[in-house]
Amino acid sequence: MSSQVQPMTPATPAVPASHAADTAPVISLEGLAVSLGGRPILKGLTATLTGRCIGLLGPNGAGKTTLLHTLLGFYPPNGGTARVCGRDIRHDLREVRALLGYMPENDAFIGGMSGVRFVRLMAELAGVPKSQAIERAHEVLFYVGLGEARYRDVGSYSLGMKQLAKLAQALVHSPKVLFLDEPTNGLDPPARTRMLQLIRDIRDAGEVRVILSSHLLRDVEECCEEVLVLKNGNIATYSNLEEERRANRKFLELELRSETEGAAAAFAEEIEARGAELAAGTRQRLKLVLPEGLGVRDLYELAAARSVQIRRLDYKKDSLEDIFLKAMEGGDDVRI
Amino acid sequence: MSAVISDRQIVYENVSKFYGEVLGVNRVTLSVPPGITGLVGPNGSGKTTLMNLTAGLLHPTRGSISVLGATPEHPEEMFRLVGYATQYDAFPPGLTGFQFIESFLRVHGYGRVEAEELAWKAIERVNLVDAAGRKVAGYSKGMRQRIKLAQAIAHRPSVLILDEPLNGLDPMARAEVIALFRELAAGGLHVLVSSHILHEVDLISDQVVLIHGGYVVAEGDIGGVRDEMEEQHPAQVLIRCDQPSLLASRVFLHDHVVEARVHDDGKGLLVRTRDADQFYLLLNQVVVDTGLVVETVMPTDADVNAVYEYLIGANGGK
Amino acid sequence: MSVYEQTYRSYQGPLTPTWSRFFIIPRYAYEVVFRSKLFVGFFALCFAFPFVGLILIYLKHNLSALQIFGTSAGEIAKALPINNSFFYYGLWYQGALAFLLVLFVGPALVAPDLRNNGLALYLSRPFSRTEYMLGKMSVLLILLSAITWMPGLLLFAFQASLEKGWLGNNLWLAGAILVGSWVWIVFLSLLALAVSAWVKWKPVARITLMGLFFVLMGFGGTINQALGVWWGMLFSAWHVIGSIWYSLFDMGVSDDLPPAGAAWIALVAGCLLSLWLLYRRIRAYEVVR
Repeated sequence: MSSQVQPMTPATPAVPASHAADTAPVISLEGLAVSLGGRPILKGLTATLTGRCIGLLGPNGAGKTTLLHTLLGFYPPNGGTARVCGRDIRHDLREVRALLGYMPENDAFIGGMSGVRFVRLMAELAGVPKSQAIERAHEVLFYVGLGEARYRDVGSYSLGMKQLAKLAQALVHSPKVLFLDEPTNGLDPPARTRMLQLIRDIRDAGEVRVILSSHLLRDVEECCEEVLVLKNGNIATYSNLEEERRANRKFLELELRSETEGAAAAFAEEIEARGAELAAGTRQRLKLVLPEGLGVRDLYELAAARSVQIRRLDYKKDSLEDIFLKAMEGGDDVRI
Repeated sequence: MSAVISDRQIVYENVSKFYGEVLGVNRVTLSVPPGITGLVGPNGSGKTTLMNLTAGLLHPTRGSISVLGATPEHPEEMFRLVGYATQYDAFPPGLTGFQFIESFLRVHGYGRVEAEELAWKAIERVNLVDAAGRKVAGYSKGMRQRIKLAQAIAHRPSVLILDEPLNGLDPMARAEVIALFRELAAGGLHVLVSSHILHEVDLISDQVVLIHGGYVVAEGDIGGVRDEMEEQHPAQVLIRCDQPSLLASRVFLHDHVVEARVHDDGKGLLVRTRDADQFYLLLNQVVVDTGLVVETVMPTDADVNAVYEYLIGANGGK
Repeated sequence: MSVYEQTYRSYQGPLTPTWSRFFIIPRYAYEVVFRSKLFVGFFALCFAFPFVGLILIYLKHNLSALQIFGTSAGEIAKALPINNSFFYYGLWYQGALAFLLVLFVGPALVAPDLRNNGLALYLSRPFSRTEYMLGKMSVLLILLSAITWMPGLLLFAFQASLEKGWLGNNLWLAGAILVGSWVWIVFLSLLALAVSAWVKWKPVARITLMGLFFVLMGFGGTINQALGVWWGMLFSAWHVIGSIWYSLFDMGVSDDLPPAGAAWIALVAGCLLSLWLLYRRIRAYEVVR
């Protein structure tokens, strides 16, 4: 993806049509339990993750990174097991690792090498033959958008470039599953946008499944179809965002503006009088549920009559925030 | 500038800061009212310089700064008024969270009893009571962010300067900290928050300052800034409806509409207009007159993200 | 005319066999190591003494050539016996150079990976810690072999080919050269890698290695003097290896050196300690308490 002037269309969520084809499970957790330093971190997780892009959420210390590290085989599980694309992590670890690409959250690179050499080394270590490794390295570096900088020492890269290099080494050997741990960390806004666009591209190309672990709900919302929320080493919830969004369609969000003082407030009062349920919000930003018999057209008639601008009319977008908050409020019991 | 007004504002008068030849900020003139102000810009644009200047840690090469009446020439007053949470961690080694805050308060001149009390108050506010007895070196990233925040608010400053305060915080902690900001702002504080997460800046800020290459390229509330830019960057609105072409034909009858494009999936119209107010009133009329079924209406570039793209551009940073 | 869409394409081709992958590490390491002209010069110099040895052996058996050098050189050559002493001192000389080589190359192997959390990337691939360590070690093993037992055996073979009957009495010398060299090579490599895994800055790692070899020697001597014992010298790598070589080359008994049995134990202990240290450090993650 070379940088181009992108039209200002909002990010469209996953297109349902191609989603249906990828319902084979990516990861299945079968009572996975992991203890570190004597403390249980993951307490018997059981879930089957499908979908092209799955978000991994949870408060600090819930075990997200531990889960990723266990699937990568950095720690052995203490109980239960897990499968990545059907391969068991206890018995077929090498095969599992061959399928995975990992973009760590922290700085991770090898000092004293240029970007190309670094990605080449990573490719060869994953089994790409020497003759093809350099081609692949350049291809992937072009795809993530590292231009001339690829010939410079990775240690001299800015944070954004290091993130891209990390992504490149995770992709170069064509993994089937990509683990991204806080991929937008520290990136300034244009770099964030580009990174998220890249992730969506990878998801849409259909060859790699993405597991995105992040604290930024917005990032996960824009890219993922399903989310796994961990809390205290247990699964708090595993939800399908598409379904949640469809369920939220009855909640409308309006943003109003008007020249005359109080016109917006009067508008709100009137639709409430007509039976709409207003949720708490400011006078300018309304959240409401339309009753039977009251439609969007009626809102416009009212707006036209009172010279109120309806600057935004949208369906509730905070599905993920709701899911997350509900998951956090619940107890430690498993809920799927 | 009347003394009354300047006592409640942070005022920069033609401030420049150079590090030798290297530019920090150049000719910044701003006045920041109370409330939450978002500071936005690429890495290396001068945000940190501006924050250091406001905190009194740097003296401007030229120009003058007044923080609620205090100036860098009287640092004691300034440090009392300002609380600063930096982006990078710099903790004295070996201290626990509580000790870190308490010792900081002692430096400010509070007696032992009061320092303890204030320290605990601050720790409670950031929800770190359980971990306050542990060494800071063992804290997770999110905890370190919160202890820094606690240190910034402990001495009850009137101005809070926070560099990427939400970095590394999980969603709940983010919501809590944002609520804290709103509480503080409601109490009359100036809260300056620098962040790269623009939709959050949008959500929490009353006004924004965009900085790029050492210059302030825009400041004020985001709606106002966007309106000012309408001439060069007409407002874009996406209307998802059942008959985009019909809508297009109607809106083109008006001069302020400069472009209408049918969205890729055929079920929406992307309109660019030089006068957003007129356009929305027009839309009301069109819906009423034609029976157009509108599904959603969304301005696609009225947020900080879009303003950033227009003014700073995709290649603003490194 | 076509417009090519640049999108993500996966690699579908064949993969290299798993067992061969640890060779990637030495290959990359050699590219870097031989880029330094200083190192190349040093490496070339390591062959100086074996080369001189070759000439000496040749001269011993080619009296006609001696005429060219004049009688005095001829007498030296004639007098110099090619026996266990010859190879013992030869190994000492090359062994010291081996130490210098390890000082040069060792820290550069592991430090850049560990300092920047590179292990997480290695291990997220089908690549184990053992392969990583073997790969890194093989860099040192090969370089060190090239300057210790390889020239040693070459000299041995040369001598054997020129003097009939010499081989029968001295076959055991070949074994001594091999074992003596390998023991030193493995010990040096393990120690150097262990130190550079724990001390991640190259200059500091080098200083630490030098300290381990020289400061500990002084420390050992002090213990001997203070406590009136002999085993203090087991802390000195030079004394340990010297004792082992002394016994391997059947040089007799020495008062300065600790007994060979104790020396062997000390060496093995050193190797095991290094191995343990390495395993503790070569991990994908840092354990934070």
